This record gives sequence, C-alpha cells and structure tokens, in this order.
Amino acid sequence: MPSLLIKNANIASEENDNLITADVLVENGIITKIAQGIAVPDDARVVEASGKVLAPSMFDTHIHMREPGQEAKETIKSGTEAAINGGVTGVVLMPNTSPAIDSAAMVRMVYDIAKRDSRIPVYTSGCITKGREGKELAGIDGMLGLGVKMLTDDGDAVPDMSLLKRAMEYASEFDCFFASHCEVLELSGPRALNEGVVSHRLGIQGTPACSEEICMDRDIRLAHATGARLHIQHVSSKMGMETIRWWKQMGAKVTAEVSPHHLLFNEEDIGNYDTHYKMNPPLRTAEDNAALLEGLKEGVFDIIATDHAPHTPFEKEQDFVSAPNGITGLETALVSLFHHYLKKGEFGWGLLINRYSAEPRRMMGLEPVPIVEGGPAEFILFDPEGETTFSAEYMQSMSQNTPFLDQTLDGSIDLVVLGDDVLLDR
Amino acid sequence: MTRKDLLDIESLSRREIEHLLDQAGPFKELFTRSVKKVPALKGKSVLTLFYEPSTRTLSSFEVAAKRLSADVTNFDVPHSSVVKGESVRDTIATLQAMRTDYIIVRNKMAGLPLVIARETKACVINAGDGAHAHPTQALLDGFTFREVFPKPEGKKILIVGDILHSRVARSTSTLMRKLGVEVAWLGPGSLVPKYGPEDIRRFTNFDEAMQWAPDSIYLLRVQMERQDAPYFPSLREYTKLYGVTRERFKRIADQGIYIMHPGPVNRGVELCDDVMNYSRCLIDQQVENGIAARMAVLYWLKPDENSPS
Repeated sequence: MPSLLIKNANIASEENDNLITADVLVENGIITKIAQGIAVPDDARVVEASGKVLAPSMFDTHIHMREPGQEAKETIKSGTEAAINGGVTGVVLMPNTSPAIDSAAMVRMVYDIAKRDSRIPVYTSGCITKGREGKELAGIDGMLGLGVKMLTDDGDAVPDMSLLKRAMEYASEFDCFFASHCEVLELSGPRALNEGVVSHRLGIQGTPACSEEICMDRDIRLAHATGARLHIQHVSSKMGMETIRWWKQMGAKVTAEVSPHHLLFNEEDIGNYDTHYKMNPPLRTAEDNAALLEGLKEGVFDIIATDHAPHTPFEKEQDFVSAPNGITGLETALVSLFHHYLKKGEFGWGLLINRYSAEPRRMMGLEPVPIVEGGPAEFILFDPEGETTFSAEYMQSMSQNTPFLDQTLDGSIDLVVLGDDVLLDR
Repeated sequence: MTRKDLLDIESLSRREIEHLLDQAGPFKELFTRSVKKVPALKGKSVLTLFYEPSTRTLSSFEVAAKRLSADVTNFDVPHSSVVKGESVRDTIATLQAMRTDYIIVRNKMAGLPLVIARETKACVINAGDGAHAHPTQALLDGFTFREVFPKPEGKKILIVGDILHSRVARSTSTLMRKLGVEVAWLGPGSLVPKYGPEDIRRFTNFDEAMQWAPDSIYLLRVQMERQDAPYFPSLREYTKLYGVTRERFKRIADQGIYIMHPGPVNRGVELCDDVMNYSRCLIDQQVENGIAARMAVLYWLKPDENSPS
C-alpha cells in the first residue's frame, strides 16, 4: 500500500495523559517517522488529523464470538468486524462455544476460521476442564502447544476446588495463566440480577455479591498456594475490588479486569425488567460503581475488558429470568469510556491506553503497540469532537443487545490502521 | 384515566387505586340481587392463560368476567403446544390471531405479563407472576380493608409469613402504603427480606410485632411445596414461632384485631381452627370482594384504539 501520512495528530501513549502534536508517517506497516511538518512523500495518502487523537489500538481479552455452535448470535467474522468498528485490533475468545474449546483440535479449528474470516489477530483461551463440565482436565498441553495462554471455564467457575488446584499445579510446567469467572453456584439462584432492592422489587431471587467474592478469594488462595498466575474476570463489586487490592498487597500473582458496564451501570438501570442490563456477574449498586472506578484508577484493575456477549433479539425479548445473560461491548466500549470518563476528566488517555491496549497485550505475552518510530502501525484516530450513534446500521455485530442501542455519545473512531491495512475509514 | 394493562400496583397512582376501589363497591352490591349480571362487557372476549395451577383466582376472574357478560375462554395450558416447547411469544401471536380483548395471565416467571402486554393489543391482567406482583389480590385486600376501615390512613397492617417468595406480600404492601396504611412484616429471618422499602418495619418476633399494635394481621400461606428448601427447620417450629396459635388468637381476639389471608389456609400451620370462626376474620369476605375488585379492573381497562375487537 502507499505510505500513509497523518498530519497534526495528537499522539497519546500509556505513559501519561499528555498528547504530543506531530505528523506520523507509516511505510510498509511500520511507523517510520514522527516529527513536525513531515514532507509529503510522492505516493502518500494524507490524513489531516488536527484536533484528533492518535492512539494505540485497543485489545480485548474477554470476547464471546459464539462460533462454533451459536452462529445466529455472532460469528468470528462479524465479531471481529465489530471489534474493528470499536477500535479493537486484537481479541481473546472465551471457550464456552458449542462444542467448547477444550482441545488442540478445537483450537486449530477456531484459528482456521479466524485465518479465513478475520482481518485482525484472534487469540483463544482454552478450557480448564473438558466441556467446561468441571470434571476432567482438558487437553492442556495440546492447546498450549498451539499458543493458548489463558485457561478458563469462563461462564462458570470450576466448582471442584481440588480439581482446580491440581490444574494449577499441573500447568506450572507451562507458560500460561488461569482466568476465573467467580461464582458460588449454591448462592447464585437463577443468576439474573443482584440481590438487593431491585431484585426485591422485581420479585426475582438475586445473586448476592458474596457469591462472587467468596469464589474470587478461593481461587486467588489456590493460585497463591500453587504458584499459578491468576486473572480475575469482570469484577462487579466493591468488596471484590477490595479482595483483589488486599491480595495484591500480599504479593499474590493476580491480575484483574473490570468491564465498562460494571463501571457505568448499576441495578437501578434494570428498571422494569430491561434485559439489556442483564449479565453475569450482575450490575450491582452505585456504591459499587464508585469503588470499581477507584480500583481502575488505582491499578487494582490491570485491564478493561468488555465480556462482549451477543444474543439474538428473540432471546433478549423474553422475560427477565429466561433471557440469557450478557451484552455486547466491542463497539461501544471505547466511545462510552471517552464520553463518560475522559471527556469529564475522570481519567485520561494514558490510563485508558494502559488498561485497554497495553496491559491486555502484556497479559497475553504480546508487545504493546505504542506510537513510536520503528514500531508497528497499529493505531486508531479518534475524534473527540465527533459523535457516534449506536444504531443497528452502525453496528457490525450480528447482535444489538446493548444498553447503548440508538444512543448518541460524544467521540468517534474515524480510522483504524493495522500494519499495511486501513481497516476502518469513516 | 384508563390503562391498557394491569401488571403491578407500583405503577398505579393512589388516585387510580381509589378509583378502582370505589368502582368495586357498586359491583359488590350486584351480588345481593337475584340477577347478578350487567351487560358492560357484552360481546367482549376474555381469555385466561394460567401457566400455574390455580382454582380460586381462575374461578374468581371467570365469575367476574361472566357477571360483566363477557365471553370467557380458558386456554388449556397443560394440553397446549406450550408443553411442546412453544415460546410464550409464539403462543401470544396465536392468541392475537383469535382477537381476544382481555388476556388474564399467571406465570411463574416474574415480568412475563409485561412481555405479553408488549406483544398484544389486548388488555393484559397479571394474575400473579412469580414473586413479583398479584395486583388484583392487592386490590381486593385494599377493598376489604377499607370496608372495615373506611379511612385507612394511619392504620396498621402486619403481614406474616414467607414475604421473600410472596407476590401477595409485595403487591398488598405496596397498595396499603399507597393508601397511607403503615405496613410491617413478620416472619423467619430467612423469609423476611432486608431489602425493599425502608418504611416497612421488619419483625422476626411475634410478641414484638404485637406490641406495634396492628389493626389487622394478614397471614400468608405457608408454602408446603417449598419444604425441600429449608428456610426454617420444620412446620412445627414455624407454627410455634409465627403461627396464630390458640394462645395468640386469644390475645388477637381480645384486642379486636382483624385477620386476613389470601387463601387457601393451612389450618394448624399459620392459623388455628378458632380463627376461621372469628367474627373479625375477613377471609370469606376477601373471596367475595375478589370478584367485585376484578370486575372493576375488567371494566376499567381499555384496549388500544386500534384493538382487534
């Protein structure tokens, strides 16, 4: 492709919130020069970026693409296009497909589909137990041999503690880590919403936060005892945040993620049974929102991940208990975080890039993609003055189960570049 | 002041509630006449859709609709395609095609009547959805309460039993509070939720609750079918701690406290036999008032303008 010259961009990095205005020249997929007033090469495409932010592109470590098995909700093709639409150029799939990704054969199959259908790198996690049934260990060596780094039964916790402990001991031989969806099923009830005022009002048995917190503590203790690396997924409560904070102070090898929806919404948003606010773990209270934001700023949460979970309209239009858990997130995460936090000065680009671009890549054993001379071109151009309407037409995902549907938020993703390719040019 | 659906009490204003209770009065007077029927809903069709077994509520609605001269069809859920796995929405599409004017629904899923109401032009009446709401029960309770306390403001009602799983407790508490009645809950700690409206007093001790001096005690049915999940050790222990035993009944009768119950009662569990012969026991009155209250609801609701009728 011809070279690409981005003029007068405000370059962001994870180091701090300062934006540096300069031109950026991309040749053969590599950032070759960053300077003021770069002369336009003969064949170059020039993009005027005054007032816009040039940032490393995002990387999402918690994605459900439903393929194989539930292709009416999403496929690797539609899901990766949704990622690009949201400024995300790398994803880690969860293994709760049907059949589950619990063997080398399944990993290979997913990678073959991704190679055929995706314009961005796709990584997958692998199951801890066969079929995510919590009974026998999955084919760990075979999956890790194909490059899998994350082992998880996401969607469920491993109920048998001795099995999880053994898995952690066994896997110490390999370069991998565990990721935990934390939940004590005996306490969870129908897994529909938080136990509290709203569950009472709506007459549905709620899931108390302690269901998640007990399992979180359990898994970190097991990892601590065995020396395994552990990542805690989608923390939803204040005491969950405090649990991780405490364990990090104890020196445990634990990382944690928070999702945009747990930061931005709480149980009150469910209103009159709005299933676009139904996910697991559930939305909790305004006090939890505040604690999660505090944890994100402080670094208790190493990464932001969306838990992108597509479902068809028919499924989501059922009654609240019958409707499946989960909302989509890939296309809305960056813009909604900008609109609600960056624009209001809650935190800046430095933190956002660190938590949603650099740290997720590091966790997966990948290099971050800062905008530096000699670095790979893997960035987005973001217009803080623009706006985005999340209409059904805008969305590339096959599913539109998001509270942001038809909302207009500040900020827009104008350009997504990966190496030689301009993946998105709005 | 009309609505298409009656799904809960929460969304009703005090004015709407009082209007419905006022309307129920003349309907009740009808019952003393030799001809108990009015032509108000002549030519209208009412369909009952009960996914949960019910005899009392179902018959009450049926009688209410017939006394308004509506045609009533009971959709036979156990023998329908529902058991073949048909989704509720597809069932509703079928019913829509039958051009029914009112759908009365009971389902174990909280919020399901709302899903139906969104899908159909017919008026939807919630006859009980999970632990969420049972609005016509609350209206009949309110009506009954007003018969003994014409000015309910400031009166006190103590609701006793399994509050946690009870749609009756939720709806009746909400309605009473909207009428200015003070509400308290009494029951085992495992069945009295600490969440919910803060102005409702919580008791786990019968004597303490009695010291609060309620004007009426509303006993909930102990759900025998829930005994597999141990919320309390035994029925015997429940009765000892929370039942209206003969000793407690004596005190209640001495103080002239009214007794209410949504039925059916478990004699010897939540109440002793003596209660059923007590002059201030309102249980039979509640049943009769249920028909009047449901007539008022059917008469009040109005389908969308482009209703299929």
